[in-house]
Amino acid sequence: MTSYIIRRLLLIIPTVFFALSFLFFLFFTLPGDPVTLIAGGADRTPNPITIQQITERYGFDDPLVVQFKDYWARTVQWDLGESFQTSRSVNDVLGERSVNSLRLAIWAVIIEIVVGLSVGLVSAIRRYSLSDRLTTIFTAGASAVPVFVLGFILQYGFAVVPNLNDWPEWARLRTSRLGPDTWAFFFIPTGEQWRYLILPAVTLASVSTALAARMTRGSMLEVLRADYMRTARAKGLRERDVVARHGLRNAMLPVVTLIGIDFGTVIGSAVLTETVFSWPGLGSAIAESVQDRDLPIALGLTLAVVIAYSLINLLVDLSYAWFDPRIRLTKGGAA
Amino acid sequence: MRLKRRGIKLLALFLGLSLVAAACGSDDEGSGSNNEGTEAQDGSAGGDFIDLGTIVGDPLEHIDPALNSLLDGFQITNAMFDGLTDLDATDPDNPEVVPHVAESFEANDDATEWVFTIREGQQFAGGEEILPSTFKASWERAATLAGDYSYLIAAFLEGGEAALEPEGDHTISGVTADDEAMTLTVKLTAPYSGFAAVAGFQLFFPVPQEAIEAGADWENQVMFGNGPYKLEAARTDQEIKLVKSEDWNGDYNQDTWADRLDSITFRVSADPDTSYNSFEAGEGQNANIPPARVADAEATYGNTLDVAILGSYHWVLDTEEGVLGGDENIKLRQAISAAVNREEINEAVYNGSRTISTGVTPDGIPGFKEGLCEYCAYDLEQAQTLFDEWKAEGNELTEPIPLQFNADAGHEPVAAIVVDNLKAIGIEAVAQPENGETYFSDLSAGSCLAMCRAGWFADYPTYDNFMFDLFHTDSIGGSNNGHFSNEEFDALVEEAKATVDTDEQASLFQEAEDILLNKDTGVVPMNWYRGDYVYSDDIATFPQTNFGLILWEQVAFKA
Repeated sequence: MTSYIIRRLLLIIPTVFFALSFLFFLFFTLPGDPVTLIAGGADRTPNPITIQQITERYGFDDPLVVQFKDYWARTVQWDLGESFQTSRSVNDVLGERSVNSLRLAIWAVIIEIVVGLSVGLVSAIRRYSLSDRLTTIFTAGASAVPVFVLGFILQYGFAVVPNLNDWPEWARLRTSRLGPDTWAFFFIPTGEQWRYLILPAVTLASVSTALAARMTRGSMLEVLRADYMRTARAKGLRERDVVARHGLRNAMLPVVTLIGIDFGTVIGSAVLTETVFSWPGLGSAIAESVQDRDLPIALGLTLAVVIAYSLINLLVDLSYAWFDPRIRLTKGGAA
Repeated sequence: MRLKRRGIKLLALFLGLSLVAAACGSDDEGSGSNNEGTEAQDGSAGGDFIDLGTIVGDPLEHIDPALNSLLDGFQITNAMFDGLTDLDATDPDNPEVVPHVAESFEANDDATEWVFTIREGQQFAGGEEILPSTFKASWERAATLAGDYSYLIAAFLEGGEAALEPEGDHTISGVTADDEAMTLTVKLTAPYSGFAAVAGFQLFFPVPQEAIEAGADWENQVMFGNGPYKLEAARTDQEIKLVKSEDWNGDYNQDTWADRLDSITFRVSADPDTSYNSFEAGEGQNANIPPARVADAEATYGNTLDVAILGSYHWVLDTEEGVLGGDENIKLRQAISAAVNREEINEAVYNGSRTISTGVTPDGIPGFKEGLCEYCAYDLEQAQTLFDEWKAEGNELTEPIPLQFNADAGHEPVAAIVVDNLKAIGIEAVAQPENGETYFSDLSAGSCLAMCRAGWFADYPTYDNFMFDLFHTDSIGGSNNGHFSNEEFDALVEEAKATVDTDEQASLFQEAEDILLNKDTGVVPMNWYRGDYVYSDDIATFPQTNFGLILWEQVAFKA
C-alpha cells in the first residue's frame, strides 16, 4: 500500500511536467502576439515603445528554448513569478483563489453526494414509479440547461424576486461575489456567508448531481439484480440492510469514481459558475489569464490544479479498497 | 447497519457544527437593510455607495493613471486625482476647459509653448505638497512605465520621444518646472491649440513621491492622489474600495462637496445582466443597463440614458484597396452609407438607447456641426440611385462585401441588419466575425478588407481627438483602423490643430470631416453613445459627464 502511494505520488511529477510544458508552448501558438496582448492590444493599438519594453522586461526576445529552461529552473524552486498584467505575485493569487475554489467545490460535491445519491437510490428502488420518472426528467433537464442560464434563473428567482417583493432578509439570496468571506472549520459558512454560497454551489452541482443520480440509479439497478442480493434476502436480512450493506456499497464504485473526478474538475474548471456569480476561484482566473496571455498566472494556477487533481484521483483509488474489500492495491496498481 | 449509524453520526456532527458556526457569525453582518450600500445612519450626509455598474467583465487591469487606458479604470482614477485642467460641462453642448490644480494657463501666439501656474497649497492625501516639479516627475514616470497612452508624451511634448526610449533617463526636455514661481512650462512638438484639454487627461495627473518610488507596482498598493477619494486598501480582483480623502481642498469652484459619499466600493460584475440582477436584488446602488433591459430601467429607476457621451460607434471603409477602395468606388461607398437603416439598428439592437449620428464627431465636441453627413439618413432611393450610377460607370461587384467585426462583443445583430439593408439595393454583403482578442491590432496592421466595425470614446474634448487619431495618415498603424489616407484631409486637420482662433479651427475641422464623410466616404457613422447607468431610489444625485465619467464627489444619497 505504502509503495503504491509513493509510486502514485511520483507519477504526479511527469504529469505536472507534461501538462505545464504543453501549456507553455500552447501560449506561443495561440492566435495573437502575446506581447501585443500584454500591452493591451486586444482593444486598441499599443504603443510600439511599450511593445519593446515588454519584450525586454519579460525576456520574449530570448529563444523559446531558453525561456522554457528558465521557466522550469524557477518553477522547481516554487518561484512562480508575477502576473504580466497586474504585477501581483502568482503565489498571492493562488493563495486567494484556491481557497475559494476549494470551498465552492466542497459544497458542490456535498450537494452532489447528498442529493445525487439519495435521488438515484430512491429512483432505483422504486423503478418506474412517479418519483423515478420525475427523477429522469429533472436529471435530463439539469444536464441540458447551460450553467449560465441556470445561474441567471436562480439569481432572478432567489435574489431579485425576493428583494422586489420585500421578502424577509434571510430569504433573499445574493446574486454574486464571495460575500463577507466568513467561515468556520474552513468550509462552513457563518453569518451572511451562506446567502452568497448557496446559488453558486447549487449551480455548480447541478450537472454533476444529475449525473451522479443517473449513475447511482443505473448502478443500483444492476446490483439489485445480482445473485448475492437474492442470497442476502434469502438469508432473511431486512430489505433496508440488503440495500444499504450489500446493494449500495457495491453500487458505489463507479459513483465514487465520478464524484472523485467531479471534485477534481470543479476545483479548476468551474469557469462558467465562477463567472456568472463573480466567485473568485481558480477556474475563472485561469480562463482570464489565458485570454490575457498572462502566462505566469496560467501556469502557476494550472500547476496547483494538476497537483490537486492528481491527489484527489489517488484518494479515489484508495477508497476503492474500502468500498470493495476484494480490491487490493498492489505493485501493479489497483487489482 | 454500521454504514447507516456512521452516516447519522456524521450528519449530526455536521449539522451541529453548521449551527454553531452560523451562530458565531459576526454581529455587523445582515443589518436587515434592503440595500447593501448604506446611507449615513445618523441622517447626516455621506453614506457608503456600492457600485455594480463600473467594472463589468474582468477585474480592472490598471488603476494607475499612467497605465490605465480604459473608461472603467478612468472612473477610479478620476475620483482619486485632479489634473492641471478640468472640463466644465455645465452646458453639455459647450464643454469648457477650465483651470483646476493649475490656477491659470496660457499659450504663446502659435500655441507651441504653454505655461501652467500651479495653485499654492495643493497637496496629496497625507500632506505631500504639489509643486510644478511634481508634474514634471509624474510625466517622466509615465514615460518610464510606457503605458498605452504614453504615446501622447511623444506626440505632444518636446523631448517626449527621447524620454520614452527604454535605455534613456526618461527626462522630458521640453517640460520645465519652476517651484519658486509655481510655473510649469511645456514646449510642444508642434503648434496645438487644444493642449489645455490634453493636460487634464489622466496620463498627466500628478502622483506622489511614493508612486515614483514604487513604479508599476504602485497600483497594487494603497494608492492615494490629490482627488476627493483615496483607496482604503489595496485593490483585489473582487472590489476596489475608495474612502473620502479629508485632505482634498475642493474643486476649481472651491466646492468642497463636504456632503460627498463616505466610501465607494466598486464591485466586479461578470456582465451587464449580472450587474443589473445584483442591482435589482438590492446589492448596490447602481448598475450597467443591459440593452434588453433599457425600457425597464427607464421606466423604473433613475438613469443616465439621457446623457450624451462623447463617443462614436461607426464602421470604417477601406478607401485605398479592396472591393471598396479607390476613387472609382466612391459612389458605392456613398450608397452603402445611405442604405444603412440606423434607426432600425438603434431600436433592434440597443433598444433606442443611442443617438443616431450625423457624423463621426459627436455633439459636445467644440466645433461640432449637426448634419455634416450627407449619406447618413436612411434613404433607399438615394442609395439605389448611387449604386445604379456606380454600375452604369462599368463597375460590378464580383464578390460579397465582407463586414468584419470583433466576435462575441454584441456586433453580430448590427452586421446582420446591415447585410439585409444592403441586400435591399442589390449589394451582397457577408458578416465576417473576427478574433476579438486581436481584432484591433490586426486592423492596425491593415486587416480591414472593406467595411470594419470600430468605435471611439473621446479622451479629451477636442475635434482632433476624432479626426487626427482616427483618420489622419500619421495614425495608420495606430487607431486609423481603415487606413484612411487623404492628403487634402490631412492638410486641413493639421492646419486646424495649429489654429488658435476657435471659429476658424472649427471651420477647418468641419471641412476635413466633410471630406471624410461625403467626398471620400471613408466611414459609415452609426450612432453616438449615451449613458448606460441605472441607480437606486435612495440616490439623490448621480451626475455623469459627457466623457462617461461619474462625478463621484457630487453623488449623494437622499437625505
